[in-house]
Amino acid sequence: MIFGRLFDFLKVSAHQVARKRMRVFLTALGIAIGVAAVIGTVSLGEGVRYQAVEAIKEQSDLTLIEATADIRGGAIQFITPSKIDELAAVQHVEASSAVVREAYTTKRQTYLEVVGIDPGGIEGVIRPKFLRGENLEPGSRQAVLGHDVAETLQRYEGVRFGDTIPILIRRYDDDGMPVDEEVQFTLVGVLQERDDAFDQVMLIDRRVAQDLRGDEAAFDGVLIRVDQPEEVFSVVDDVKALGLTAKGAFQQIESVNQLMDVVVLILAFFAGVSLIVGVLMIVNTMVTSVFERTREIGITMAIGASPADVVYLILAECFYIGLIGGVFGNLLGIAFTGAINTFGKPFIIAQLGDTFSTFAEGDITLITPEILAIGMVIAIALSLVSGLYPALKAAHLNPVTAIRTGV
Amino acid sequence: METIIETNHLGKAYNDRVTALADVNFVIRKGEFVALLGRSGSGKSTLLHILGGLDAPTSGEVWINGKSIDFSDRKALIALRRESIGFIFQSFNLIPALTARENIEYPLLFNYHDRVARRERATDLLSLVGLGDRAHHYPREMSGGEQQRVAIARALIGDPLIVLADEPTGNLDSKTRDEIFSLMRQVNQEQETTFLIVTHERELGRRADRAIELLDGRVVS
Repeated sequence: MIFGRLFDFLKVSAHQVARKRMRVFLTALGIAIGVAAVIGTVSLGEGVRYQAVEAIKEQSDLTLIEATADIRGGAIQFITPSKIDELAAVQHVEASSAVVREAYTTKRQTYLEVVGIDPGGIEGVIRPKFLRGENLEPGSRQAVLGHDVAETLQRYEGVRFGDTIPILIRRYDDDGMPVDEEVQFTLVGVLQERDDAFDQVMLIDRRVAQDLRGDEAAFDGVLIRVDQPEEVFSVVDDVKALGLTAKGAFQQIESVNQLMDVVVLILAFFAGVSLIVGVLMIVNTMVTSVFERTREIGITMAIGASPADVVYLILAECFYIGLIGGVFGNLLGIAFTGAINTFGKPFIIAQLGDTFSTFAEGDITLITPEILAIGMVIAIALSLVSGLYPALKAAHLNPVTAIRTGV
Repeated sequence: METIIETNHLGKAYNDRVTALADVNFVIRKGEFVALLGRSGSGKSTLLHILGGLDAPTSGEVWINGKSIDFSDRKALIALRRESIGFIFQSFNLIPALTARENIEYPLLFNYHDRVARRERATDLLSLVGLGDRAHHYPREMSGGEQQRVAIARALIGDPLIVLADEPTGNLDSKTRDEIFSLMRQVNQEQETTFLIVTHERELGRRADRAIELLDGRVVS
């Protein structure tokens, strides 16, 4: 019943709108330009965001996350065996491995960042490509070096593939005096350059690291490999839900997103100012239309329309203005972004410099179905809001005086 | 015969000074064709608007179909207009954006009617007023007489208790005036629809069942 009436009202209003095509089109154009401006700026912002995120994905190992202990409400959430099991069971976690982090120095005082991890974890989570050699053997005092640290040790200490690396581990005797214990690790593998933190890390077996620390239940974190880049943030949420902190390349994406959210919002706001002009145009057109049709509205009320019916009839006309404005706004917006890609891109790349050279390949703007849908919703919603004042004005007409108008 | 409308000491004053209607008492029965005569400014239109629930009296009562009209109840007045009253105005009666048939259907848009039944009824009424072939014509494509025929059909579509017509022939030439008047009379006799027609032409008054004449807001005959 209610849909039947809605359909009837939309049909009557379609006739009214069709009768004043030119006026309606010009009015709708006002809102269309506003929508196009918003779509242009938002798609530019989204395009830059997309390119930046793609660049991060390309340059970093996005699906690798490390979960570490966190302080929640004053209590430290330690990495416990049960937490390790829970993390392994999180959806979209392809592989996970508990790690121990240490800082060692060589006998010649070179600082080494050490990650103790199961050899299986190296294979499953870190997924190394070996420049030389191979993975660790479980339980043995062997080391795999990241690309950069291997180069450093070779240059300053002359450590080569197959050599032993003398490490000093500081301990304290009964009197509290420091005693350095010397431990030898055999260099069994060197990783290829990865452009991430593992370039600076020495990998050793986790049990060896725990043994050297003298605490077999000590864990500093869990390295997690997520199965797909799209699922990284859902896994991060699950890690946080367990009371732990998540670290990884995804944090750069978070930063970009936070920045771009603000940028897009500000751009859209200023573009949206032109929507105000569109709104005023609709108010003006509809007030004029109501004024011209005073007698018609009076007769409509005399033959049975309630004030609410009159409001709906006028709002239905505004709905069409919004619909037309939305369609043309989207088309104009798409044309606008095309122009940005063709003429604006070279300029923007020149301004941003080499860092954003990846932009040169793709479009600098990004139009998603969501953006177009939002453009449509904005156009229709603003039209309906603009129609409220004229519609209420019409509904408050006195039928008797309205009927006498223009006889 | 069944009483359709009864007024009881009906009065309308503006600002407590100008009296548009004073102590108006009359009865209209089912199937009657009544002319409401009077010069311009005699209060005819005001009376018609009050009977149609568009205006409120300042004193007295209106009874329609045995019920006293509460002029402060806006919903009841809307229901009255939807269900009991058919209006015909002097000219420019129709919605310019709608075709003849859509204009006839228009009142039922606000009264929740089945679309198919509504269309059939409108088509029947178009034939009744002799415009069976003009269903898809717009008001601007029709003569004044044809537009008034559409207005008559529109007034009839809700099966009203009474049709209130305000100078329905006022803007027409004498030949068309006769045709429109005859059409209303024909509908009155064939469909037993009750009519109250406001006019300032005494000749039309003589062709009605009876005439009520207003002078300065009072019934004089």
